[in-house]
Formats: sequence, structure tokens, C-alpha cells
Amino acid sequence: MNTETEEATPEASLQEEVPEEVRAGLNLAPDEEVRVSLSTDIKLDGHYGPAWVLATDRRLLAFSPDGEGPPDIVQVPLSEIAEVEVRNLLGSGALKVRTAREGATIALFSKSLLPKFSKVPDQIEALVRQARPAGEEVVKRTVGGAKTAQKRCKQCGRPIRDWLGVCQACLDKRKLFARLMSYALPYWGLIATSLALLLTATFIGLTPPLLMRSLIDDVLAPAGGRVQTVPSAQSLRNETLPARDGGERVPLSRGRGGASKLSILVTLLLLVNVSRNALGAFRSYIMSRVGQRITFDLRRQVYQHLHCLSLSFYNERETGRIMSSITQDVSRLQDFISEGLQEVIRNTLTILIICIILFSINASLAALVLLPTPFLVWATSHFSKRLHDIYHGLWRRWAGLSALLADVIPGVRVVKAFAQEKREVNRFEGTSQALLTGELRVARIRSVFAPLMTFLTSIGGLLIWWVGGLKVIGGTLTLGDFVAFTGYMWQFYGPVEALCQLNNRFQHAATSAERVFEVLDTQPDVADRPEAIPLPRIRGQVEFRGVTFGYEPGKPVLKDLSFVVEPGEMIGLAGHSGAGKSTLINLICRFYEVSEGAILIDGHDIRDVTLKSLRDQIGVVLQEPFLFNGTVAENIAYGKPEASMDEIVAAAKAANAHDFILNFPDGYDTFVGERGARVSGGERQRISIARAILRNPRILILDEATASVDTQTESQIQEALERLIKGRTTFAIAHRLSTLKNAHRLLIIDKGELAEIGTHDELIAKDGIYANLCRLQTELSRLKVW
Amino acid sequence: MEQEYALKQELNLLDPKGLRLFIDEFEDLTLDMKDRGTFKPVTAMRAFPITDRDRFIILKDQEGQEIGIVRDASDLDPKSRAALIAELERVYFMPKITFVHNIEEQFHIPKWEVETDRGPRVFEIRSGRHNQDLRSLGSGRILIRDADGNQYEIPDYRKLDPVSQTLIESQI
Repeated sequence: MNTETEEATPEASLQEEVPEEVRAGLNLAPDEEVRVSLSTDIKLDGHYGPAWVLATDRRLLAFSPDGEGPPDIVQVPLSEIAEVEVRNLLGSGALKVRTAREGATIALFSKSLLPKFSKVPDQIEALVRQARPAGEEVVKRTVGGAKTAQKRCKQCGRPIRDWLGVCQACLDKRKLFARLMSYALPYWGLIATSLALLLTATFIGLTPPLLMRSLIDDVLAPAGGRVQTVPSAQSLRNETLPARDGGERVPLSRGRGGASKLSILVTLLLLVNVSRNALGAFRSYIMSRVGQRITFDLRRQVYQHLHCLSLSFYNERETGRIMSSITQDVSRLQDFISEGLQEVIRNTLTILIICIILFSINASLAALVLLPTPFLVWATSHFSKRLHDIYHGLWRRWAGLSALLADVIPGVRVVKAFAQEKREVNRFEGTSQALLTGELRVARIRSVFAPLMTFLTSIGGLLIWWVGGLKVIGGTLTLGDFVAFTGYMWQFYGPVEALCQLNNRFQHAATSAERVFEVLDTQPDVADRPEAIPLPRIRGQVEFRGVTFGYEPGKPVLKDLSFVVEPGEMIGLAGHSGAGKSTLINLICRFYEVSEGAILIDGHDIRDVTLKSLRDQIGVVLQEPFLFNGTVAENIAYGKPEASMDEIVAAAKAANAHDFILNFPDGYDTFVGERGARVSGGERQRISIARAILRNPRILILDEATASVDTQTESQIQEALERLIKGRTTFAIAHRLSTLKNAHRLLIIDKGELAEIGTHDELIAKDGIYANLCRLQTELSRLKVW
Repeated sequence: MEQEYALKQELNLLDPKGLRLFIDEFEDLTLDMKDRGTFKPVTAMRAFPITDRDRFIILKDQEGQEIGIVRDASDLDPKSRAALIAELERVYFMPKITFVHNIEEQFHIPKWEVETDRGPRVFEIRSGRHNQDLRSLGSGRILIRDADGNQYEIPDYRKLDPVSQTLIESQI
């Protein structure tokens, strides 16, 4: 557990600064000392707003503003207080005080302040004790319910997930980025190559308009094209005046020289095209390779980490969501890691170079090109922001849909048994409909967005055509320059748009990154301590020493359990449902860490040994055995993959599973299907017993191992279990008490406490809970016989 | 043949005519019954706090044993009903959101700034728990539980102003 973020709110002092008007309103005596002063966030009239509770050395006071009217003021002399109660209500909390004659609520507060107010009764009790003559009875104090256990970050106060050690907000964004890039690091060679290719391709890609210009001005126009636009007077002048751009070349390029130049230029253009595309193809292969490798690494890391996490992590989340984190988020990151940075470099570079070229050709025209840019930037960022928001919602709906599927498909038997197919279809349709609405909204925005962009850029284009065209007609611009210009212009808007969207792309990736890193950063509640040692082969003595445990802080499921189980002893656990039997077993397996006290196995605190060495010596047979998709043999050997065939068959025989396995045509090679669906419940159970036998554990846990099978199968399983139990410390939970007839001692748990412990005869003699349970069951079985 | 088992017998309904509920000088809910005497303090719980607030109200005694069920609060005499409803309203404090100023989401922790029928409030929803903490109940009704366990209700978000609607829609 992370102690830094443990407390819900920072240790709040019970003396807060009291505003002057509250002091004035309360008419405090000059020598009256304020000992406790707390602000609340709900007024006594049930509206949000600040109110105050004060305790002085003589009175308890409440001050609650009431709109325009005078504030509600309650006061109780300390000497009269008989009871102080913090009520933890369903939507808020209340502080209630009673005297001998009456009672009053003196503060209402939201649950956020519950930790602060739960300390108040003790404080008031202390004050009363000081004020009253000694010897009189003290104040009764009650604090209803548990403290809220919501973890909040110490730095920023944001709520943190129960199972998450770090505050996401306090993680540096740059760190996030750097961390993402660290996944690309192993492939830096490939990435550098690809960047070099990209830059080369970009430069090459910028040349065609220049070549076109030369083609038009130097080859085509002199061959005739220019005759119409340039009056002969000007060409005469050209011979005398210093040449303007291209003018000097006019006479040179006439005739056969033009054709050869044309062929050179066309060849060059061809080369540019070929090399550009070849480089592009090569690069795209390199980048997909890098991207896929990164995804692979990340996916493996996430999955590996998921297996390190404790059960509490899985209890908190839906399976569908965990799966989507592994699959979707990881792939989304790949795109950013491999392409994101390169895109930035390429686009910025392209924009810069084009700007330089444009301005060097014609500054005033270049300014015109830039004119629609602000609109373009605005529209792109605006639309992509909106799209991003909607996508976010859409992602959530998609996750909801997969969560629904993950919920219903495994429960299909129940659906069929209650003939609710139609309802489920409708439910799916509802979720699917929500998705459709979202997708349609995206489509609507996109269908506006694309034409709008085209429109904006084409306005720029039209401006250039108009102004540039005039310039060409006026003779201040050559046709070639003009063509080159328009060519660059189209290449200019693309990168601008891309850069605008980049922010969103970054946001998108950041979201996914957060989700993935959130999983990766989750610290398992139960983990090996750095100094943990492997547990040596044990004899099997188990000791509970004052063990208290709750899944949520403040709500103990087990309270102060202490007992010792000797090696080889079989302990039957009985008690009502929900008494804490399964929890006790979870603690022995160390699926959860005890809140207080310790569990010792052969004198070793189980927190001081490695998890693997502990669980290697514990065998578990559950009520609903889980088989993995594979063969019978594989399932038996699940806990000991290196087991020989001899061992597997022997274990199956010991588990009374051998005979039915042989009845399958494929014998031990029979596929059990997903979750073992192709074998019956009793068969599954015996396979799982064989699995436990094969591991030869020192401690054996049987959790309702025979609850869901028929009587005949039960006797077979029972027989198998007896073989398994011999010489091992065994904890068996059973509702049918007859199953526990071999138990050396019985442990009766009631409401989380150890109610009775002893042999069957002792407990019957004691005539307590166990005796009662036995009587009930005998009556039941008599009914069955009859 | 025995008479067919009637499920309804399981219900431990209280006769609304035979009981009186009031809040005593200790601010405790007290139940006076003609045939079974006085219980105090009495805890009142809604069996359907979300779908039907004023029906099936369970009354429990100090030990947490069920005294019985009030099938419909409106069957009670007006004073008893007022006392019962007042107690329930206090226990189930759930302001209604009337306007959403802003929902700012950072690191998957949506921070809501809202107006409620009990005044303005800012709260955060725990990250990654949209399904549990932001429950959409159909026909526009939304229940919210914030990071500290406080609850809020939006009776029908489609009836709120467009700004609030858009903000809420981004969350559900």
C-alpha cells in the first residue's frame, strides 16, 4: 500500500480560521476559548454553502447562514451533552448532539468531509471531560459507518483510483512524451534511416514545381507560348535591357536546343517521381516494421504486468475494458510513436522551405498565399477539437459495447433458460444505437469539414489565379513562375492542416498512453517484499495472529482472528454465507494482504516470503473449477507443466478421474473446450482435484469442492479428496456439514469473528451455532429421505 | 391439496391506518403502532431509492430488525407522511443538477461545475468508473456518484439548456 496517498484528505486540523461575521454572530464571551472550529459545506437548511461548528471551553455552537434571514444558530452547553453522533447517511453526513432532554443536528456535511468530522465526537468528549467535574459519566460517542476511503493525491487533491499508486495529473506531460519515445529507442537506427529517407523524399518532392517552371519558361514559352503574351516591343527591349528572370534565355532556347532541354527536364521529372515513390515505399515498410515491433513490445509488457497485479485490480474493472486497453490503446500508440515526431519534422520543414521559395519568387503573391492560413488554422483546430471530443465519447460507447458483450455472451445459458433473448437483443440494440448516433455525428462534422477546407484553400488558389494572372498578363511575372507558384501553394496548405491536427493527434495518443501507463504504473497490492525469501518446504503449520481484514478500509470482513492449525490437521470451515469463510482462504493464499495482524506458516510471516514459493505449496480446489482450453492432460498438469505421463495418469487415478477420461475417445488428449465446457461439472471437478494432487501441496484448500455435483459423484469425489487430504494441512469449506465429517477440528465463523472452534463432539456439546446448523441439516436430510 | 403458496405473504406490510410516525424532541423518527407499541429511533430505508422513492419504505428498529414495510407513503396520514419524507430526504441527500457550467476532463477525472437545487457545487468523478459512477437510467435520467460518495441526480438531461446538454452528452 502506498502510504503517501492513503488518507482521503490531508490531516486536517480541527481548528480552522473562523470568519469575523461568524464570530460576531455567535456572541462569544471575551474569555471564551475556541477549541474546535470546523467549516462544513452544507448548511442546516440542506443547501450547499459554508456553515460552522465551533466548540469552546463551555459551549458547542453551530452557525449556519440562512439566505437573507438571520443565520440558524444552535448552541448546547458542554455540561449537558450526553451523546455526540456522526451519522453517515446515504448522500451526506450529519453531526447530531443529544442532551438528556432533547437532540439536535448541529452540522450537515457532504461525504467529502466525513473523515474530518468523524474525529469530532472524540474531541468534544475530551472537552466535556475537562469542563465537567471528574467522576461523572462521559459522553457517548458513535461514528456511523466507515470513513470514506477515496484516495486523493497529496499534491493536487485529485481523486486517485483505489488500486493506482500514482496520481496521473502530477505526472509530467513531457515525461509522458519522453516515456513514449523511450519505446522507440531500441529502433533508433531504423527510425533514423527512415527520417533520412523522409527528408530526402521531401526535398525531392519539392523540386517538380521548379522543374515545371523551367519547362514552361525556358522550353515551352520561347517555343511559342510566350509570343502571345509578351509584345514584341518587350522582347526588343529585352535585348538592350539587363535581363529579368528568364529573359536572357529567350533567344537561346529556340529551335533544336528546346527539344533537348525538354527531354532533359521530362527525364528529370520522371526520375523525381520514381525516386520519390521508391523512397516512400521503402520508408513506409521500415516504419510499419518499427511500429509493429513497438506495439508488440508494449502489448507484451502490458500483459505481463496484468499478471503481476493483484485480484483487487480485476475486481475493480470490467474484463472488456481491460481487453480494450491491451488491444486498442496499444495500437493507437504505435501510430504516434512511429509517425508523430517524423510528421512534425517533415511538415515544419516543408512549410519553411516552401515559404522561402514562394517569397523569393514573388513576395506579394506569397503574402496572398498566406492570407487564408489563419482561417485554415482556426477551422482545423476548431473542428479537430470537436471531433476529438466526440471521438472520446465514441470510444467510451465502443468500450460499453464490448463490456456488454463480455457480460452477456458467457451468460448465454441464463439468457436461454429464462427465454430473454429478445430483451438482450434490445439491450444490445440500445447500446449499438448510441454508437450509431455518435458515428453519425462524426460523419456530419467530417462531411462539413472536408469541403470547408477545400473551399478555404481554393479561395487562396483563386486569389493567386486572379492576382498572379494579372501579373502574368501585365508581364511582371513569367508563366513558369506562376505555375511553380501555384504548385507550391497546393503543397503548402497540406502541411499546415496536418500541423494543426497534430495537437489533437498528440492528445489522442496521450489519452491512450495514459490508459496504458495507468495499467503499467499500477502497483500490485500484494507483491514480494525486496527482502522476501523463498519459503522452504513446509510442514504445514498455519497460525492466524490477530488477523483483521476488509476489502474496503473500515469495513472489516474478518475481525481479530487468532488460531493455530497443526501440520496435517484438517480444518472444516463452517458458518453462514458471507461470514468470511472464503475471505479467510483468500488470505491464506495471500490474494490479499491482511489489514492487521499476521498469518504465519511454519513460523514464517507469509508477507516475508515470495509469492511463488508460498503458492507452490498450496493446492486449491474451487467450487467452480476453471479449466483452460486445452486437453485433459494439459489441464491436469497446469500447475506442474513438467509432469511426466506417469504422474498425470497417477494423479487422475487418485482423483477418480481416470475411468471417465478413458471413456472419452481421445482419452487424455480430449479437448475440454473453452472453460472446460465439453466436460460435465463433476468431471471438471475431478480434473481439478487431479491438478491439485499433482502439485503435491503441503496445504490444501477445498472451497465447496462438492457443492455442485450429484450424490454419487460426490461420493467419488469425496473418496478422492480423502486420499488427497492425508498428511496435508487442509482447510475445507462446506455447506453440507456431512462433508466435514473427517475434519479434525471445526472452525465456525460468524460475522467475521471466530465464534467456535473444536471437534464435532465438543461443538455439539457446546450447543452453539454449529450444533444449531447440524440440527437444521439433519432435519433437512430427513426430509430428503422421506 | 394445500392452498397455493402466495408470494405476497412474505411481505410484511404495515397497516397505514394503524401507525403514526413523528420526529421527537431528539430529532429521532419515532413509530407508534396501535397493536405493537412504540419504536424509537426508527431507521427508514427506501427499497427502491432510484426507481420509486415513496413506495416500499422499510422501517427498522434500533437493532436493525425490520419492523415492517410502508407500501406507499401517500397512504399515511399527512403528519406521518411529512415526518417520514423529511427523514428520508435527510438520509438520501441527493441534489438535482439544474445547470452544468463546465466539465473539464483531465487525466480521465472529469471535474463538474454545476448548479443544483441546493446551490452551486464542484465535484470530481473517479476516473475509469463511468459505468458505475455515472449511471444513465434511460429517458434522460442520470445518477452521479462523485469521488467521495456524494450523489447527484439529473432527472432528465434532455430538458436542460443546450450548453448543459452538450457537456453531459460528452460524458455519457
